[in-house]
Amino acid sequence: MLLWMSNIIDSKKTIDADEDIEFVLACHKGNTDAFEVLVERHQKKMFNIAFRMTGDYDEACDVTQEAFLSAYKSIKNFKAEAKFSTWLYRIVVNYSKNRLKQLSRSAKRREISLDDSGEMKTEWIINQSFINDANPGTQMERRERETQVQKCITSLDEEYKEVLVLRDIQGFSYEEIRDILKISEGTVKSRLSRARNALKDCLTKVIGDL
Amino acid sequence: MKNCKEIENNLSLYLDDSLSGADKQAVEEHLKSCPQCTKVLVQLSKTHALVNNLAEVEPPAWFKQKIMAKVREESEKKSLVQKWFYPLRIKIPVQILATVFIAMLAVYIYRAGEEQIKEVVPSSVPVPVMEVQKSKLPEQKMKTSTDEDIQKEDQVIEKKETPRKKVSEMAVDAAKDVNGQIGPDIKADKYVSAPAVKSVELSETELEKKKESNILDAAIRASRTPHAQSVMQRPNVLLKVDDINIAAGEVEKLLIKYEAKNINRQIMQGKTILTAELKNQKINDFTARLKTIGQVEEGSAPLNNAVENIILMIEILNK
Repeated sequence: MLLWMSNIIDSKKTIDADEDIEFVLACHKGNTDAFEVLVERHQKKMFNIAFRMTGDYDEACDVTQEAFLSAYKSIKNFKAEAKFSTWLYRIVVNYSKNRLKQLSRSAKRREISLDDSGEMKTEWIINQSFINDANPGTQMERRERETQVQKCITSLDEEYKEVLVLRDIQGFSYEEIRDILKISEGTVKSRLSRARNALKDCLTKVIGDL
Repeated sequence: MKNCKEIENNLSLYLDDSLSGADKQAVEEHLKSCPQCTKVLVQLSKTHALVNNLAEVEPPAWFKQKIMAKVREESEKKSLVQKWFYPLRIKIPVQILATVFIAMLAVYIYRAGEEQIKEVVPSSVPVPVMEVQKSKLPEQKMKTSTDEDIQKEDQVIEKKETPRKKVSEMAVDAAKDVNGQIGPDIKADKYVSAPAVKSVELSETELEKKKESNILDAAIRASRTPHAQSVMQRPNVLLKVDDINIAAGEVEKLLIKYEAKNINRQIMQGKTILTAELKNQKINDFTARLKTIGQVEEGSAPLNNAVENIILMIEILNK
């Protein structure tokens, strides 16, 4: 009985803490405007997760759109056991992983994409983010460094990439990563440790002495 | 003292300050005496800084609009599906609605079919009735004739003033008509003695009115025509006797003896008319026996040997 009560209280706490919940409930009634609010709130983070996972701007656009559409279709399945944002980020991570699998199947096309247009596109996007920097020399240096870092992230194994993106780029806690990826906290920590070491090795190779 | 491998695995958590007190202390003690692990820690720290400082990428300006356009499209699709599949508050699957519809349609078709059957069945019933009618006596057949014929009949029976000669001529004419016009052109139905033909014609009219199928109609005609021919022959016999009543009784006995069917007697002023259906083979013998009763005058057309039964009309008159 006490356990049941505590479950209800915990669930209520989660709902109370989730600022998205009222819009989610409105979406249950078919209110698309409420969903627009949720898109507005989460589109940037969703898009950045997809971009860091795929390493490609256009792919990130497609993946994020698909993830949002999928979220809208299945929003009635959201049970408020976790935060809505956690549920939403899980969707975008899974869509990104699926897209990477599709791309790896067509390895040849991917190679061309990375070597030529894809890389150029990523570079261009990163360049755009430094366009307001005052010093052009610093701009160039940072731009180059960002491209190298992204290349190394893209080259990581999927399971290392996802924890690294969520923890070191998006700043999620271990608990949040556990909930998003549905893996144990210990697994999150061990994967993160390996991911950082792998990235360090990659960057040491690419940049030289860090 | 832990080895470098174990320490390296914990360096990531050490950076995050996520190690327990004992592990953290072990790492710090190791780092004091291990420049290699210290270097790794510095590299990990720089890597972390590089990744952490990656700038956020802005999605395109049209991004939200595009997402929402797709979402609204999906919403409309969803509402259409709900409209068609769940028209009621209670979610009845379309399959159940379809089943109910098919069941109702089946019942409707079955009922409609039943009515059609009812329309067809009675029209097929008169066929044997008509055949029976043909074998009946003229008086019985008259009941199935038109009102006009019945009225004429009544006139003949009730108006006893009708001259004997005229009736006799009518009978003879009727016989001639029947003999000469076997088939659909028979006009003898205006006479009392020819109701059988009339009834057949009427039946045909009724059948047409009921719009029976052509096949059924043809079958009826085919079965009817030879039978009609078998009873159409009606030679008239004029029998002149001293006492009409006695003679009529004797003729009746004689008809019974010769296995005549449908014997009918009509008593009129100054005469009695007997009609009966007699087998063709027995007609000559019968006529010969009639001569023992009275004076016989045969006024009919020659007999047709192909005919099975003959309706014989005997007029009994005083000498």
